[in-house]
Amino acid sequence: MAASISDRIGWRPAARDGLRRLVPLAALVGIVLTIVLLAGMGDIVLQRRVIFCLIHVVAVVGLYIFMGNSGVMNFSSAGFMAVGAYTSALLTMAPGMKSTFLPDLPAWLAAAHLSPLWGALAGGVMAGLMALVIGIPIMRLSGIGAAIATLSLMFICYIVLGNWTALTGGQQSLMGLPSYVGLWTAGLTAMVAIAVAFVYQETRGALALRGSREDEVAARGSGVRIVRERLAAFVVSGFVTGIAGVLYGHFLGTLRVESFYLDLTFLLVTMLVVGGMRSLAGAVIGAIGISILTELLRLVEVGFVLPGTSWSIATPPGLGDVALAAAMLLIILFRPQGLTGGHEIELPRSKTSTSGLATTSGNTGTANV
Amino acid sequence: MLRATDITVRFGGVRAIENVSMALQRTEILGLIGPNGAGKTTMVNVLSGFQQPHQGSVTLAGEKTGPLRADRLARSGVVRTFQAVRLFPGLTVSENLEVGLGSRGLGRAAARRRAAELLDYMGLAARAHMPGNALSYGEERRVGIARALALQPNFLLLDEPAAGLNIGEAEALGDLIRRIRADFGCGVLVIEHNMKLVMGLCERLHVLASGRTIAEGSPADVFRDTAFRSAYLGAEPA
Ligand SMILES: Nc1ncnc2c1ncn2[C@@H]1O[C@H](COP(=O)(O)OP(=O)(O)OP(=O)(O)O)[C@@H](O)[C@H]1O
Ligand SMILES: [Mg+2]
Repeated sequence: MAASISDRIGWRPAARDGLRRLVPLAALVGIVLTIVLLAGMGDIVLQRRVIFCLIHVVAVVGLYIFMGNSGVMNFSSAGFMAVGAYTSALLTMAPGMKSTFLPDLPAWLAAAHLSPLWGALAGGVMAGLMALVIGIPIMRLSGIGAAIATLSLMFICYIVLGNWTALTGGQQSLMGLPSYVGLWTAGLTAMVAIAVAFVYQETRGALALRGSREDEVAARGSGVRIVRERLAAFVVSGFVTGIAGVLYGHFLGTLRVESFYLDLTFLLVTMLVVGGMRSLAGAVIGAIGISILTELLRLVEVGFVLPGTSWSIATPPGLGDVALAAAMLLIILFRPQGLTGGHEIELPRSKTSTSGLATTSGNTGTANV
Repeated sequence: MLRATDITVRFGGVRAIENVSMALQRTEILGLIGPNGAGKTTMVNVLSGFQQPHQGSVTLAGEKTGPLRADRLARSGVVRTFQAVRLFPGLTVSENLEVGLGSRGLGRAAARRRAAELLDYMGLAARAHMPGNALSYGEERRVGIARALALQPNFLLLDEPAAGLNIGEAEALGDLIRRIRADFGCGVLVIEHNMKLVMGLCERLHVLASGRTIAEGSPADVFRDTAFRSAYLGAEPA
């Protein structure tokens, strides 16, 4: 009978429902915040590792915005990151630096000297524009066609940037980027990226896109403009992924075109698939989980001395990559919906139990996290 | 009025539909019947924009509908259900409806409220938050109809809505379809094999066999028609 009382007070269930809907966002922001606060207490080496992890969170969230909602494969993340990174680098580097490393830049670009924030936004916008232009022809593809088209896009970015020596320095490293990205810059950007993805997925366009992910024919029967909705998601996704590239460049302070190639593409896709590509929680948890896994493997690969003994343990090189592929394979075989099973982190739905966090079956009705 | 004129559809060498014309008025219930493979689903695909006819044209309120624009037709109120239901399995029942409500211009909050109303109307309120793939067969079919209603149909095309239902459920479905016609003011086309349901429900019948029209008219007239008796009842004694 408790329900009927709150039913009579019209606003209460609505307000409570509104808050309930924000739980998935709050939980993920909370996770990132906790990581930043904990890392703040650690040493500089740990902090660098965590910053890398947070940049990957931004990139995987960017990937999720399109791939998670549309269900269409996307292997072009590394290309969008590269475009974002180089755009911001060229616009924010000190003109003196540019004349050293890139003597052939057009004069207006050589003179450009934007603040980090404007440079970052320009990097995101450039990546978003690329998504718009490329997306118009390829958004009608799905399945293997989309996989090949996006992979080709990544190759094209790699080849063009790698050979456009005047703009990028070609095969040489581009040095002297202002390295302004620290723990909080990366952490706050990750939280904003998560918020952007969350707000987007609550729009009716994103719901329509998820409908088309589940059944393209039925979605058309429900009036969904599939190509248009995909394109919108692709542009938002491109922007966020571009921002991840910006962070990457301004964290390291140097850029190499090689960094934005198959390794990175495979890493990002693995993170999303392992976490669960059908939920934002999956993107965030996958990025963090795989980051931790690769860090642990890196320790083992370098070799360490077993505490209390004189035995040192070292594994053959390449173990990290093998483990990454193995993680992907295991997930695809045994938990195809990823660690989160496609669920967001939500409060349990039943009216009697209101305490504690749990994942509810929003998606496939299978087991919880 | 939704009208198809002189429609021909071929698949390779097979003529699935040959020179068929039919019209659906708003507020009528039209039965589309015929043996398996007669071309009934293909005709619904043509009317709803999923299948481009090789010849002939479809007009909605006198205007030609463009080629292969199923989504646009759905938004203008020509809405169909699928023989295989095709719910969005990973979305909740409520979200299954909200997709169409969004296409009709409702924001998320308004769509949620309207979906709740529609599910209530269909007697599915308790299922609102269940995933689309966790329903019984009969419920699944009703959600399929509710999802079509979310688009505020002017013309509702139902492809075998009673398939797999028991006798009681089929009768209830007949009542539901009449109620929908009254409450939504839409014309309904029903593909159906159950002759008892068809006779009780439809004001007009259109009979297809091997892609051709073999009879049309009131149920009483059609059942007296000799072409119908030999081609249809002869092929499928029931
Ligand atoms: N996509 C397709 N490609 C090739 N042939 C098809 C296709 N769709 C339908 N057909 C053929 O067209 C004919 C009509 O099929 P349709 O599905 O319209 O029949 P139906 O009257 O709906 O049958 P049922 O009662 O079994 O649903 C059949 O011979 C079928 O095999
Ligand atoms: Mg059929």
